[in-house]
Amino acid sequence: MMGEIKQAMRRNLWDENQVLRQILGICSILAVTNLMTNTLVMGLGLIFVISLSSLTISLLRSYIPHRVRMIVQVFIIAAYVILVDIFIKAQLPEISKALGPYVGLIITNCIIMGRAEAYAQKNPPFLAMIDGFFAGLGYMLVILAISFIRELLGFGTIFGFDVNFIGFQTWTIMVMPPAAFFIIGVMTWAASSMRLSRQTLQKPSPAPTAAGQQASR
Amino acid sequence: MGDAVAINPFIILLAAIFTSNMVLANFLGMCSFIAVSNEYKTASGLGKAVTLVMVVTTILNWIIFRFVIIPLGLEYLRFIIFIVVIAATVQIIEMAMDRYLPELHIKLGIFLPLITVNCAILGISLFMIIRDYGAVQSLFFGVGSGLGWWLAICALAAIREKIAKNKLPLGLDGPGITFIITGIMALAFIGFAGTLIVQ
Amino acid sequence: MKREYIYTVLFTFVVSAVLTAILAGANAFFLPQIERNEELAEKRAILYVLNVPFADDSEVDTIFGESISEQNIDGLNVFTKYDEDGTAAGYAVPFQGSGLWGLIRGYMGIAADLSELLGIEFTDQNETPGLGSRIDEEWYKEQFRGIQLVDGEAVLTDDDGELLIDAITGATSTSNAVINIMRNSTASILSRLEGAL
Repeated sequence: MMGEIKQAMRRNLWDENQVLRQILGICSILAVTNLMTNTLVMGLGLIFVISLSSLTISLLRSYIPHRVRMIVQVFIIAAYVILVDIFIKAQLPEISKALGPYVGLIITNCIIMGRAEAYAQKNPPFLAMIDGFFAGLGYMLVILAISFIRELLGFGTIFGFDVNFIGFQTWTIMVMPPAAFFIIGVMTWAASSMRLSRQTLQKPSPAPTAAGQQASR
Repeated sequence: MGDAVAINPFIILLAAIFTSNMVLANFLGMCSFIAVSNEYKTASGLGKAVTLVMVVTTILNWIIFRFVIIPLGLEYLRFIIFIVVIAATVQIIEMAMDRYLPELHIKLGIFLPLITVNCAILGISLFMIIRDYGAVQSLFFGVGSGLGWWLAICALAAIREKIAKNKLPLGLDGPGITFIITGIMALAFIGFAGTLIVQ
Repeated sequence: MKREYIYTVLFTFVVSAVLTAILAGANAFFLPQIERNEELAEKRAILYVLNVPFADDSEVDTIFGESISEQNIDGLNVFTKYDEDGTAAGYAVPFQGSGLWGLIRGYMGIAADLSELLGIEFTDQNETPGLGSRIDEEWYKEQFRGIQLVDGEAVLTDDDGELLIDAITGATSTSNAVINIMRNSTASILSRLEGAL
């Protein structure tokens, strides 16, 4: 069991990171990555939705008729998203205003459907939840990194706290949409070149053992 | 005081295509935008299908919101209702096309299932509601957003075809360079910002 | 075959019924809080445009109750701020107009002698995130504090005809829309206030 959890963690945080490796689910969220607070709330919302929808879908997996599988999954996901939306509206009204319709767009975040299809409907509930949780976490770390760069360079703040001690002239471009594309482009580039160069390094040696993989990490 | 809902539909149309393009300024529909843009013909096909579905679902969702959701006080369920409408519309369009326009179905059919989870489609419906648009405005918004999406994916696919044979640094190939091109396109589209005069 | 069909329909029906029930419950549970938030947001906006300091949300109600009173002047909902000696110090008046994408709504604070703008705040706007919606940023709104009101109009340009309000990069349409809204709504609000006071 522990091994499986560890595996789910490694798979989702790095090996198959949904954003960096699979380029999934960026639609709904890049727009709000110019402020870390908004990004964090969206990320936590996503983790909540993906963990619980994976859990629910896995619990119901032997009862869901195959023909209406997709629509039932969408239903379950949408229901959790609505819960998140109502909760944010009630508890964090300012952020809810800033996020606008983007909370609703978590429904169409391909990661959630992707994990439901690829993992939750074939695996036991607890593992499905763990898998969903780490998929969401991997996703949140990436978008938080993006918003860290954007907010720091664009506003000179982190989570709204002024850290611009040296009077750095902030870059307006970082607040605007194109910056998100540039940053995520460079990040995917860095991630895949790291992976590729490791592969070329490993090639000469015979098939790597599990221990060898551990060590190279 | 200016009437609230009197925004000129043509301005909405042009703004949705150029100044606030669905992909380049609002990041909607990114997944298929990145994934299906390595070949111009396919990209254009997907663009057409998205435009078609977007127009139809915008109208349907507007009618349903105005005449079913509001009277019944079900605003909090709108996400579910919209996504179900979208899924059903896609299914019906696919069946109707298969029956009456088989040639078009062969061309666009493969893209239709992809569209249900295209965030741009749901996004347009949500934006339309939150901005309180009337029927004509919603229609123009749907058409404009669809065309804008189509334009953006065609432009990206054309650029990607041109650079397909170029040698790139390790790892930049694929999504990396696609994002950077998209970023430059987004910058270019910001150049349209001053060209629209509101009111 | 037939049984399978019935099961499918029944299953879908049960799942949607259960989910709807849960959501309806959650909605009913949080509704009072959501309404309360909206009320608080309005009050905060009014205090902000009138330049009344408040530390946090818990103070908003008391300060608002002590110093602000609402009245209807010529069809306008005017929130008047009174100083401790009972003289009017300023008025907060709602305004609205079209942005690039949709309605922009907010409050503007006007000095009691109708000579300058005390501040503005947007309560409702749906401009493009990262572009137009940056009108919510402090530096943008603060530019409107102290704008002179002369002959029933807001003076938004200097002697050379240059705008006194810096536009937002990449969001020219929204910036222009805000300037237009402020022009039109200050003119109409001032004419009504002057008539009534």
